[in-house]
Amino acid sequence: MSTLITRYRLNRKIRQESLIGTLSANIVLIAFAILSVVPILWLLLAPSKTDPEITDRHPLAFGQFSGYLTAWRNLQSFNDGVVLTWGLNSIWINASIVILATVSATLAGFVLAASKIRIKKILMVATLITMLTPPMALVVPIFVLVDKLGLMDNPLSVILVCSLYPFGTFLAYIYFSTTIPVELYEAAKMDGCNDFRLFTKIALPLSWPIVSLLMFFAFVGNWANFFIPYVLLPSPENYTLPIGLGFLFYSTPAINPGVGATSLPIFKPEIALAGVLVALPIMLVFMFAQKRLIQGMLSGSIKE
Amino acid sequence: MILPYLALLLLWGILPIFLAFTEVPHESRANPDGGWDAFKIVIQDFRFLPALIHVLQFMAIFVPSTLIAVIVFSLMLDLNPGKWKKYLRLAYIMPASVSGAVAVLVWYAMLQPTFSPLQGPLSFFGITESAQIFQTENLPVILGIMAFFSIAGYWIVIQYGSLQSISTEVIEAARIDGCSGLQLALRIKLPMIKKYIVYMCILIFAGGLQIFVEPQLLNEGIQRGMAEDWSLDQLAYTLAFLDGDFGGAASLAILLLIPTLLLALIVIYKTDMFEEANDEIRSKKVKG
Repeated sequence: MSTLITRYRLNRKIRQESLIGTLSANIVLIAFAILSVVPILWLLLAPSKTDPEITDRHPLAFGQFSGYLTAWRNLQSFNDGVVLTWGLNSIWINASIVILATVSATLAGFVLAASKIRIKKILMVATLITMLTPPMALVVPIFVLVDKLGLMDNPLSVILVCSLYPFGTFLAYIYFSTTIPVELYEAAKMDGCNDFRLFTKIALPLSWPIVSLLMFFAFVGNWANFFIPYVLLPSPENYTLPIGLGFLFYSTPAINPGVGATSLPIFKPEIALAGVLVALPIMLVFMFAQKRLIQGMLSGSIKE
Repeated sequence: MILPYLALLLLWGILPIFLAFTEVPHESRANPDGGWDAFKIVIQDFRFLPALIHVLQFMAIFVPSTLIAVIVFSLMLDLNPGKWKKYLRLAYIMPASVSGAVAVLVWYAMLQPTFSPLQGPLSFFGITESAQIFQTENLPVILGIMAFFSIAGYWIVIQYGSLQSISTEVIEAARIDGCSGLQLALRIKLPMIKKYIVYMCILIFAGGLQIFVEPQLLNEGIQRGMAEDWSLDQLAYTLAFLDGDFGGAASLAILLLIPTLLLALIVIYKTDMFEEANDEIRSKKVKG
């Protein structure tokens, strides 16, 4: 019987797609790729032009390299160079979040995988629920809490709130439970190894792949975050770049004609440059780490 | 070792949920006597129903279009593999770097007939002036487009990745049996990546329900009054930070949290999405 099936299969040619089908699918794919890239190109090219050139020249034309420098110098004229402060805030706040979130999630993921703590079940469910609940949902009570803790308008509030990283904990948990056999943990424990030594001796040397993945997601998820810093950091000198970009929208007439004319040279190229400063780091990370992103999302959602 | 995470989880994940409930009965101008009437008062607020309708309109555009595009494009990418397609994937994921404030800026430019690179398509639809686009009644579509491009490419790349996890033997066997590309997609590939799609649906739904940044910035930064208290999250923001009605804002936050929490619980307990976690829980139950 099996020979018959094999012969039947061999006699039939493996079915391939028709040329027209493949061609039309590829055309649609390429068209969508163009549509995806055009807005990004516009953003990257806009600061190279002057404000009138943005309207008069072809939308995707390149101006001149000096345009970027001029736009940056003009941006610096806004509120005594506060844009640079926003950039530095973004860098140190995000670096702190990435470190704190990654360390806490890696350790928690390891403990959940390796030790038999009593609250494991409830911790797992709480982690999964927080993972599936968007952070915006709790912004009002978080604001009340931050206020009660006296951390309002203190960047530490954003760092602490954004360092809760349930998705990272879940990823680390999956990683440690699949890469290190339970027997190894048990044997080490029988030999009198405590959790901390277990982590430093066994898990830590193996944990670079998960640590880098966690850092990647923590960075991508927080760099452009708007809502939490918007609510918790009301003073302009504490803004991060995305909040600063929003502030530029409503305090200059560049794209908001409702704001009266000002003497500041902040127009579309300057606003676009501020947009580039927010988007470019994520673009670069995507460019160099696309594969890891796929692996991470898949191992995070489902354990195969 | 688990303490740093545990402290963060309790402080910012669990405590705020309880705090939201304790905030609700507080006295405010809208709820002078205090108490649980805050829920009723916020639902009866003249801004609540319009905001709910706006969010539903937005989600009716954003959620299905994103899901359909992600499924169709990831399947099409997977149809005939070619090395050049990695550039397509890179192109698709790029708009995900443009979200929130930058998405507002970029899509404001894209929809601006005077300097948009998409002038051709815009004039095809008869749009030659900015005033034709930036109107309150167009917001579900404008915000739908912004949200779609911020997220669709990212998920296309991820679902393409999930399709790669299907073993080649399964695909080859189906091909030998005469399965066409379409049949293969609908009968084999889609059922095999169902879990990943459910996971995506939850995140897209939960994210859409909480839309805030884009309408808030359009309203404050581009055209004042265009999207005043347009979404439910914006209304919660106004209640808390402009009206000083934390009870009302907390009630609204809880109302918004309920569908998301229900979905999360269904996913955790009723699907095999988090098999590993569920196995742990079940084995504990059996032992206990």
